[in-house]
Amino acid sequence: MNYILPLLIGLLGSSVLALTSPQYMVTDIPPPPTMFKNTQIDGLTFLPNGKLVVCLPSGEIFFYHLQSKKWALFAEGLHNPLGVLALSNSELIVTQRPELTRVRDLDGDGKADDFEVVTDQFGMSGNYHEFNFTPVLDKEGNYFFALGTGSSGDGVRTITRGAFNERGRPGRMHSSAPYRGCIIKYTQDGNTIPWSYGHRTPNGLGFDLKGNLFATDNQGDWVGSSKLFHIQKDRFYGHAASLAWKTGFEGIPVDAPPAKLAQMRSRACIVFPHGSMANSPTQVLAIGPKANFGPFTGQLLVGEMNQPRIIRVMLEEVGGELQGACVPFIDGSPLGRGCNRMAWAPDGSLFVGQTKHTWAGGQGIQQVSWSKKMPFEIQNMELTTKGFLFTFTQPVESKFAQDKKNWPFSRYFFEYRRAYGSPRSDEMPVEIKEISISEDGRQVEIELSELKAWHIHEVKIQNLISQTGENLSNNYIVYTLNRLLDNTPPDPLQVKLATSTKSKK
Amino acid sequence: MKKFLLPIVLGFSGLLLGESKEAILKKGEALYNGAGSCVACHMKDGKGQKGSVPTLAQSDWLKNGTERSIAIALRGLAGPVKVNGKNFYSAMPPQLLMDDEKLAHILSYVNQAWGNKERLVTEEEVAKARKSLPISVYTPQTLLKQFPFDKKLSRKNGTFTPTYDDLITTIIQPIVYRTFMPGASPAAFAVALPGNHYFCWDAGECRLRYVWTKGGFIRSNQSHWSSNGKPVAQFNGTPYYRARTSLLQNESFDDLSKTNLKQPIYDTSEAKDFPILIEGINRKPVFLGYRLVDQYPQFRYSLGKHIITEMIRVNQESTGVERTFTISPPAQTSFHLTPSEEASISCSQGTLNKDGTLRLNQEESAQFSIVINPKEESK
Repeated sequence: MNYILPLLIGLLGSSVLALTSPQYMVTDIPPPPTMFKNTQIDGLTFLPNGKLVVCLPSGEIFFYHLQSKKWALFAEGLHNPLGVLALSNSELIVTQRPELTRVRDLDGDGKADDFEVVTDQFGMSGNYHEFNFTPVLDKEGNYFFALGTGSSGDGVRTITRGAFNERGRPGRMHSSAPYRGCIIKYTQDGNTIPWSYGHRTPNGLGFDLKGNLFATDNQGDWVGSSKLFHIQKDRFYGHAASLAWKTGFEGIPVDAPPAKLAQMRSRACIVFPHGSMANSPTQVLAIGPKANFGPFTGQLLVGEMNQPRIIRVMLEEVGGELQGACVPFIDGSPLGRGCNRMAWAPDGSLFVGQTKHTWAGGQGIQQVSWSKKMPFEIQNMELTTKGFLFTFTQPVESKFAQDKKNWPFSRYFFEYRRAYGSPRSDEMPVEIKEISISEDGRQVEIELSELKAWHIHEVKIQNLISQTGENLSNNYIVYTLNRLLDNTPPDPLQVKLATSTKSKK
Repeated sequence: MKKFLLPIVLGFSGLLLGESKEAILKKGEALYNGAGSCVACHMKDGKGQKGSVPTLAQSDWLKNGTERSIAIALRGLAGPVKVNGKNFYSAMPPQLLMDDEKLAHILSYVNQAWGNKERLVTEEEVAKARKSLPISVYTPQTLLKQFPFDKKLSRKNGTFTPTYDDLITTIIQPIVYRTFMPGASPAAFAVALPGNHYFCWDAGECRLRYVWTKGGFIRSNQSHWSSNGKPVAQFNGTPYYRARTSLLQNESFDDLSKTNLKQPIYDTSEAKDFPILIEGINRKPVFLGYRLVDQYPQFRYSLGKHIITEMIRVNQESTGVERTFTISPPAQTSFHLTPSEEASISCSQGTLNKDGTLRLNQEESAQFSIVINPKEESK
C-alpha cells in the first residue's frame, strides 16, 4: 500500500465487462453483515470444513457457509487484522497490528473466546503505516509475518512499544520500533527473530510448492518499482530503514552511501513495472494441487491493488537464484480493484478479498472460476542462452508468431535510490535476431540481438492467435533478467541515473 | 409563533416585571448554578463538555434564537447537534421542575452571560410557549423546522448524521476493541462495560491506564478502521481514575493523542513503574492474551514465573469498577494505585496505604479485588 496516482480515467473509460481471458468467470459474493460501513477484506482463508473466513478492518472475523450462503460472526475487536490462517475449524492465527494472535473458540459456541498472544516481541511506534501483514506457516511449524515501516505521512506516538531506535527514525519510511521493515520468523520453540531486512511495505507473504518463501514490496523510497522477493535468512532486500536492527550495521541507514547498500542488497526475483504491471502488489499464492485453475500448477498468483488484476508469476533458477516473468492473468472488470487476499476454495476456484484503506483499491469478495476450457495464454517464459523460450497453452498460428514485428521487445532498469520510485533507465528496444517455432506449435523461441543482465526485458506480443483462431488473452509479459545462464557480469548496482539519453515516454 | 420577534427593550421589560435587570440576572445565575441544575452539564463557564454537552457561551444557536432556546428548555432535545461547528451527542432533558418565572430567569442569564448578547426572557413568553408548543421532545430536525436558523448567523450549525459510534449509548454487553488510545502504547484496549463505565488497558505495559464514565465510549473508531489507521480514538468526558507513573503525569489527552512526534515521550521497553511488585521478581511483565468470560475480557500476563489475571467489571452498586486479580503462584506483593480527588479506592484484601500502595501477603495475593469509585462532584 502506498501513495498512488489514481488510474481512474483508464478504468472508467473501459466499460466492457469481460476479463481478458474468457475462460475465467468472476462472481460476487454477498458481503459479510458487518455493523460498520465498509466491507474491505483484509484477511481471507478457508477452514478445513470448507467455510470461508474473512477479516475486516473493523476487527471482525466472519465465517461464510458457501452452500447456505450464511454469514456468522466469529470474532471481533481485533486491531486491523491483515491476514489469517486456519489451524482448525475453531482456531485461527491472525496478524493484527500489535501481535500474532491465536484466536480460538474454546467452548464450542461458534464464537471466539480466547485470544492468545503467539508473539508480540516486536515494536510499534504507533505510526499508521506499521501494518502487520499475512501470517504463513511452514512445514516445520514456524510462522512468518511481515512488519511494515512507518510513514513520513505521520510521526511516532507519545508512548511507543519496544526500544525506540533513533537511527531508524530518519527517512521517508522509518523503522524506529523493533524490526519494522523486517520479515519475522516465529520459531516452533518460541523465538521471535528478524528473518530478513530491507522491506518497505511487504503486504503479502506466500510459499511456492517447493517451500520457498516469497514477499512482495511496494514501490516507493528505495524501491524503484514494486517487487517480489525470494525471502532468505538475514538477507537485505533494499529498503534502508530496517538496517537499524541488523547486527553489525552501524550509523543511520538512510545516510549510508547508496552504493554500499546496493552491494548489500539481494535482487528481486520479479520486478513489477510501475504503471504497466502493478503499483501495489499484495499476497503471493501458489497454484497448487487444490487449484482448479488451468495448466499453471507450480506458478504463483500475486494480487494488485490499483487495477482489477491478478498477476501470474513463473520462476526459474538461474545462476543459483530465482528469477522469472510476470504476466497479467485475471485482468479487467468485472474483477474488482484492490485484490488483496486470495485463497483456494474447496472446489478449486479462487476467492479474492478486496480492500483499499484510503489508497486505490476496492472492497468486497469475489470468486474466480475456471470454465475448464483451455485458455490461450503464455504458459511459461524461460531464459535461453540467446533469448527467451515461450511456451503457450495452445499451438500458435505460425504466420503471426514468426513475424518479428509482433515481438516488440524492450529493456530497461529501475534505479536503486533513496528518492521515491524510479524512472525507467537505459530504456531501449531490443532487436530480434531469429524466431523459431516448435513442431507442435506450442513453443516459440526468440533469439535477441543482445541479452543484458540486470535489466528488465518486456514484450507486448502483437496479433498472436492460436491455431483455432483465438486471440492471446494476455500479451504483456515482463522478465526480470538478473542473471544469464552463463557468464553473468557483476551486479552494476544501478544506483545512479544513466547518463545515456533520457528514455522515451 | 412569530409573536415575540420584536426585541423587547431591556429597561422596559425590567420595569414591566417590576424587577431590575441586575436582579433578574442574579436570580438566573443562582438557579443556573443550583445543585443538579444546568451547571451539572453545561458547566459554570457555560462551555459544556467536549463532544457531549454543547457550549452555551457564545453559542451560535442562541443568536436571534430565544424562542428556540425556550422550546429546548421546555420540551428537551434528543439527537446529535452541531453547535459552532462541533458535534455533540447528549440529549437535553425537558426542564419539568422549573416554573415559568425560573426558566425565564435562567434563560435571561444564559442570554447575557459569558459574552452572550441576547435579550432578556419574560415569564409570559415561557408561559405562552409552555401552552402552545407540541408536547413531544424535539429532535434536531423538528426543532429546526419550527425554529430555523438565521442563515447569516448560523452557517456552522444544525445537525449531522450519526455514525455507529454515536449510536452506542447504553452498553448491555461488554465491547472490546483493540485500537489506538491516547495515553497508552499502540497496543491498547478500549473496553465498554455494561453500566456505562469504560476503560483503557494497555497490553504494551500490561496495565490499566484510565477509567471514565461520563461522555460515552470512544469515538472515531469507524474512521480509524476505514482509513489507513491514523486516527487515535477520542472520548468525551474526563477519566475519574488515571494510573500515574513517573513517566506519565498529568499530560492532557489532547497532547497524548499526538501522532506526529519525532520521538516518543517514552517507550515501554523498560515497563518503568510497573504497578505490581512481587517479592524477588525483577522482570518485566509479558502480555499473554485475554479470554472472554461472560464476554468480559480477562487479561493474562506474566511477571517472572507468576501468572497474573485481571478482570474489570462494574461494581455491584454500578457506581464504579471492580478489578479482580489472581496471582499464581501467590506471593507477597505490593500494588501501586493512584489515589486522587476524583475517585475513592478500596480493596478486598491487604492493607491500602494513603499513598495508594496496597500490600498483600502471599495468601491474600491469590485473589483480590480493587474497587475504584468516582467521587460525587463536590462544589
